[in-house]
Amino acid sequence: MVRVFQQSFDYPYDWATATRAVWQKYPNPFASHVISSDLIDVHHDPATGVLCTVRLFRKMGHVPRWGRLFMQSGSNEAYILEHAYVDARQQTMRTVTQNLSHTKIMVVEETQVYTPAPDAPTARTRVTNKARFISNAGWESIKSRIEGFGLARFHENTQKSAQGLSYVMERLAGTRAAPRLGAVVPPSP
Amino acid sequence: MASISPDCQELKDKYDTCFNNWYSNKFLQGSIESDCDHLFTLYRACVWKAIHEKNIDRLIQDARKESPFREAPADPDAAHPSSS
Repeated sequence: MVRVFQQSFDYPYDWATATRAVWQKYPNPFASHVISSDLIDVHHDPATGVLCTVRLFRKMGHVPRWGRLFMQSGSNEAYILEHAYVDARQQTMRTVTQNLSHTKIMVVEETQVYTPAPDAPTARTRVTNKARFISNAGWESIKSRIEGFGLARFHENTQKSAQGLSYVMERLAGTRAAPRLGAVVPPSP
Repeated sequence: MASISPDCQELKDKYDTCFNNWYSNKFLQGSIESDCDHLFTLYRACVWKAIHEKNIDRLIQDARKESPFREAPADPDAAHPSSS
């Protein structure tokens, strides 16, 4: 069984600012569980103008006690892969993320599409968020429980993720002071 | 933001700065010029070495192969929620 969750909302920033923020989303105060972020592949098609990227994130996972039974070595870390497609001409950005770790417990695929809001295209950006959950656990009762857990967790995470992205947009738009996130200062000679 | 490997941190920081400037000032303006290829070659080599060492390359391949979601993500038409 696959469970699907979808919602959309607007950010009060133009599309260019919104998509710039997606690239600079981490770190932010709402994502302390994200430990690392790397761009591992990039392709810019000169014919279509579409930019395709692959990013790898490492996160501290949240798995309930019963879920840890399925996990190896008690590790609470998880890797997440993100494919992004940006079409500047059409003003569309699409990101697709999927967990690489703990896929025996559950696979979560999340798609986010950013477009100018139809009723205020220069002022707001609409994001449509869709997630699909599928559990590969053997027993139906456990499977359903895991998928239910994933869905509940997803509501919570979506909100936190949007708060984090808003924070970065505010900073890029100059409506919020740049955060001090432990910048490394080179020693003076 | 941290890189997967501390060895790649300096390359990542340089590349990220280049990419973000390029994205804002070239890509979004419609330019097809690329500014950061050389930096990316160095950064990519470093980060993929770390990926191999941590055995995540297998996870990445498996995820693409065994993903229950077979949707072609590159379809630009599918990216428009208003067209559905």
